[in-house]
Amino acid sequence: MATPQEQIKRMTIIRHIIYALVAAAVVLPYIVKMDMPFSASKWSKKMYEAIDKLEPGSRVLLSFDYDPAAEAELYPMSMALLRHCFKKDLIPIVMTHWPDGVGMCKKACEEAAAESPKLWGKEKISGRDFALLGFRVGGADLILNMGENLKGAFTKDFYDEPTAGMAALEGVDSLRDIDMAVDLAAGIHVQVWIAYGHDRFDFPLGAGTTAVIAPKLYPFLQTDQLVGFLGGLRGAADYELMLEQSGKATQGMQAQSVTHVLLIVMIVVANARFIVNRLRGKQEA
Amino acid sequence: MWYKRTIPLVIVFVIGVLAFAHNYVPYPEADDFREHMTKWFMIIGGFGLFLGAYSLLHMHVSRIRRMQPGWAYSAFVFIGAAGMIIVGLWNDGYGPLESAPSTAKTWFDWGFDYVQIPCSATIFSILAFFMASAAFRTFRARNVNAALLLVAALLVMFGRVPASESVGAWFGQQGFFPKIADLIMEFPNLAATRGILLGMSLGAISQSLRILFGIERSYMGVGD
Repeated sequence: MATPQEQIKRMTIIRHIIYALVAAAVVLPYIVKMDMPFSASKWSKKMYEAIDKLEPGSRVLLSFDYDPAAEAELYPMSMALLRHCFKKDLIPIVMTHWPDGVGMCKKACEEAAAESPKLWGKEKISGRDFALLGFRVGGADLILNMGENLKGAFTKDFYDEPTAGMAALEGVDSLRDIDMAVDLAAGIHVQVWIAYGHDRFDFPLGAGTTAVIAPKLYPFLQTDQLVGFLGGLRGAADYELMLEQSGKATQGMQAQSVTHVLLIVMIVVANARFIVNRLRGKQEA
Repeated sequence: MWYKRTIPLVIVFVIGVLAFAHNYVPYPEADDFREHMTKWFMIIGGFGLFLGAYSLLHMHVSRIRRMQPGWAYSAFVFIGAAGMIIVGLWNDGYGPLESAPSTAKTWFDWGFDYVQIPCSATIFSILAFFMASAAFRTFRARNVNAALLLVAALLVMFGRVPASESVGAWFGQQGFFPKIADLIMEFPNLAATRGILLGMSLGAISQSLRILFGIERSYMGVGD
């Protein structure tokens, strides 16, 4: 029988082995190329189709409600959505409910606008082809306020330009005038957008979230309160696949595959050991 | 102490009833009221940010003053905050009252892109290591319920990654595992989530009514 000190020492060694294995599972697929084809999931396809069928010039509100901590999962999604909007000549209106989200919005808009001439042969200018509204406090109240008077809620954009005469916001007085909204969230904001935005002002709403939030949104998909949904890095990879623009999410799929398989093997091994020990204990008793 | 108890209770009741009732008034005045009220809430929310910043800094000042273990990390909070505030106010020479051109890459952007994003993303990614270790040590099929949860979790984990489609393709069924994962998410997960949502919503409604009618007064620092 091992002493408590020996047990702690053994668990520490096991923990370090697990950390090393996970690190290897994440890093190796970036070094050794693996070919793992995949197809887009049902809800990702619905999201893509909802945006793809919009007419050029349609206004798509993108609410990037996440901070740098969720960058790995949600930034590739933001880029894929902006690329899609620019490809289709839709006009994205970008905002955030998170103070730290401003930097993510700015980075994504500027990166997508900079690569647009090369990717789609289209120059995209702030204020004309997209609007970067930035951050305002308020959460649900901000959404309600935007539902009454969008330009009153955001009197100036991120670059200090007045929203009143902005070409990108022409004809958009409230949330009722937008053609679609997508919330990319690392928290509970999708539910807030559903309750205070979609249900009150009646516009199609899509969502993209980190993988841990994803299971909570299925009831809203069934009730059509969400037109589509991107869950975690896989959702972003699905979108990149449909857009035929391989990016960070697609690159991350191999690492995620190997890590998930490793976790499954570890859990199965641990349970096999647990069951064997239990049976042995019963036999000895 | 009527001004400490009665006045806040009256304000909460009146504003609460108005916020509720105006939704059922089909006149433009109700919309104007909503717009004004939401603006007020947003202004009050702005002060909440200052309160949060004050609370954070106060906590770290206390840690440094008492030289608690790890106080140097608290000093880092001030170094980081001061650095970002200074470069933010300087704004690459444009100052705090003017916006830098959209094409400009300011020092503030540099700090955000190359310090905050990598640091925050790194901290979040460490979760994968802890989750792997915790799953290996504690995720056990101790009884039938736990075994069901375990099997469902393994199927969803596998069905969500491209490896499952490669394995399925060996047997001529590329979409088999993703479909199983979707079924688990769309039926048992959906049912459980909806139950939790309904429970939470009912709880929120009852708590709101308690606050509105002055039964719940803990927000004023007073017990029931």
